[in-house]
Amino acid sequence: MADLALTSGTAMPREGVAARQTRGFGTILVAWMLMLPAIVTYVLMILLPLVVVLALAFTDYEFGAPGFRFIGLDNFAEMLGDRTFGASIRNTLVYSLFVVPLSIGIALLLAVLIEAGARGRAFFRAVFFLPVVSLTVAMATAWQYLLHPSIGPLNAVLRDLGLGTPNWLGASEWVLVSLGFIGVWENVGFNLVLFLAGLTAIPRDLYAAAEIDGVRSGWSKFWLVTWPMLGPTLLFVLIITMTRAIRVFDTVQTLTQGGPNNASEVLLRTIYQEAFHYFRFGYSAAVTLVFLAIVLALMLVQTRLIDRRVHYG
Amino acid sequence: MAGIVVENVTKSFGDTKVLRGVSLSVADGEFVSLVGPSGCGKTTLMRIIAGLETVTSGEVSISARQVTRLRAADRDVAMVFQNYALYPHLTVRQNMAVPLVMRRLTTAERLPFAGKVLPSARAKLAQIRTDVTHAAELLAIDGLMERKPAQLSGGQRQRVALGRAIVRKPSAFLMDEPLSNLDAALRVTTRTEIVALHRRVGASTVYVTHDQSEAMTMSDRIAVMMQGELLQVATPEEIYANPVDLRVARFIGSPAINQISANVTSSGVVEVQGQPVGLVSPARGPVVLTIRPEDLTLGSQGLAGTVEHVEFLGESVLLHARLGGGELVIARVAPSDRAHLGIGRPVALALRLDRAMLFATSNERLACAPTDDVAAAPVNREAVNG
Repeated sequence: MADLALTSGTAMPREGVAARQTRGFGTILVAWMLMLPAIVTYVLMILLPLVVVLALAFTDYEFGAPGFRFIGLDNFAEMLGDRTFGASIRNTLVYSLFVVPLSIGIALLLAVLIEAGARGRAFFRAVFFLPVVSLTVAMATAWQYLLHPSIGPLNAVLRDLGLGTPNWLGASEWVLVSLGFIGVWENVGFNLVLFLAGLTAIPRDLYAAAEIDGVRSGWSKFWLVTWPMLGPTLLFVLIITMTRAIRVFDTVQTLTQGGPNNASEVLLRTIYQEAFHYFRFGYSAAVTLVFLAIVLALMLVQTRLIDRRVHYG
Repeated sequence: MAGIVVENVTKSFGDTKVLRGVSLSVADGEFVSLVGPSGCGKTTLMRIIAGLETVTSGEVSISARQVTRLRAADRDVAMVFQNYALYPHLTVRQNMAVPLVMRRLTTAERLPFAGKVLPSARAKLAQIRTDVTHAAELLAIDGLMERKPAQLSGGQRQRVALGRAIVRKPSAFLMDEPLSNLDAALRVTTRTEIVALHRRVGASTVYVTHDQSEAMTMSDRIAVMMQGELLQVATPEEIYANPVDLRVARFIGSPAINQISANVTSSGVVEVQGQPVGLVSPARGPVVLTIRPEDLTLGSQGLAGTVEHVEFLGESVLLHARLGGGELVIARVAPSDRAHLGIGRPVALALRLDRAMLFATSNERLACAPTDDVAAAPVNREAVNG
């Protein structure tokens, strides 16, 4: 930069520099003007609510109450002894551990198979993407019918096979599995499309080079080329699926309302219940903060640990 | 012993015929360039030799072994790709070791930590390490072994790709435009290095390029390919001086060969613009007379034209002249002649008749010979020199 300024300083008369400065100011002004709508929206829709939530978390504010007071960390202390909150944390964790690996694994397997297939790529992509674009609440009704303990087709088949007919959504030992299965069904299509895009971006020459290098089986090619080249896609899919799993709400709310006996209570539903059912905005805000902290921590760990290993720059 | 033999290979993608019966034989240890404009099928032919593409019909054999129906992994060929195709997550050493690991180790020995547990794997891995180091020293990349491809320059990546190819001593080498991603200066030095490397390694090599100067400088023989056919396979000297097809003549040489429309009279005299040029031919009717720029000399008689452009190259001058018939020709003349080559001035360009060639308008080469016959001799054009 120094030598640039030196040469331009000698070559350019003073007023040229001045003109450049005014133009620079104008450019900055225009830039801010152009950014203004986005900034206003961001502040109003994201930053401000976040600050309000942050503040509310340390109060005992209840909707409709005439006033509130700051109670420090009391909300967080209450959480420790709250059995519903404990169940919702545990259930969200179990649900995520079920949905994330399965939906990623199945999506990757399907993507590799579809990509390797000679035809039908668009057809299969559309079929598996359907759950993503359909309305979850409407689909949940369909699931409710499918999983119905007495009139549902699933149990009809199980009955014919002489197997047990569990109450999929009504028994506490099955409800999370059922919801998890629906979650996998919802997420596979989305992940599949991401993986297909990632697979398309792998240079064909790498597979040719592997073949020439003596790599015979599709299995070895997958581990030598596909898996490492999919690294960035995988990281992205992992983050997306995890956040989607942690903030599961609509299927739970429509199908089980967190029941039976809190067996399918999840974090987002707890937040919703506390705020809009019991109107305990302060406590709900505190749970929201915990939820945000979990999501942020996961992101941080993933990007810090994995990002370095998937970008080979 | 035969290195690579391609017999009557055809290849169609749907209705598109990419190769129309190509036969090519590369002797053991020979360096053959496959050259032609883009889309002529040269890369397809190379991929067929490599086993990355199947033939529609025809046979391929490598080292006297039928490989037509073998897959690439079983053909014992190595290939250098245009974009290098290095594994981005592996270091240089690991990249170069891949072909050896895949060929020498069993599936069990390739498992992670097998090198620490199985004595057989440990011995093989040690040998692979030695071989990789040896190949790296040959290419002067032994200082880069622990780097990833993204940390290397284009030229270094190129060397690693070459290293991965030579490390297992294949019976055939295939190179697909390996220099096209390098800058001009590096391209010139690297082509010398590739030739030197080929001499040391000695494997039959097929080198695909669209750059005729690469083909000319590197090859034992050049195969010129157009529209899915091999037009001529010969030494660079032969291809340059004695092309059998007008398209070959046009493709090889820079600046391109001059093409002048001519006519052969019923008595066999070759005429340009109605004037005999000193050649006779058994052909009749309209033909194309070609002459290399260095075979046109400034003289007092010859083809009349006006100077349109002059390019000074240092050791020579390229004179662009517009002939009476409207054709533009280029003559390579001595720098000392530059003084009287003003733009727009008339010049006479004499042909070196023993180097002139005739082609039919349908591209085939036609016979012709210089003659002393007065009737066919060029007339002295006073108008040009006056």
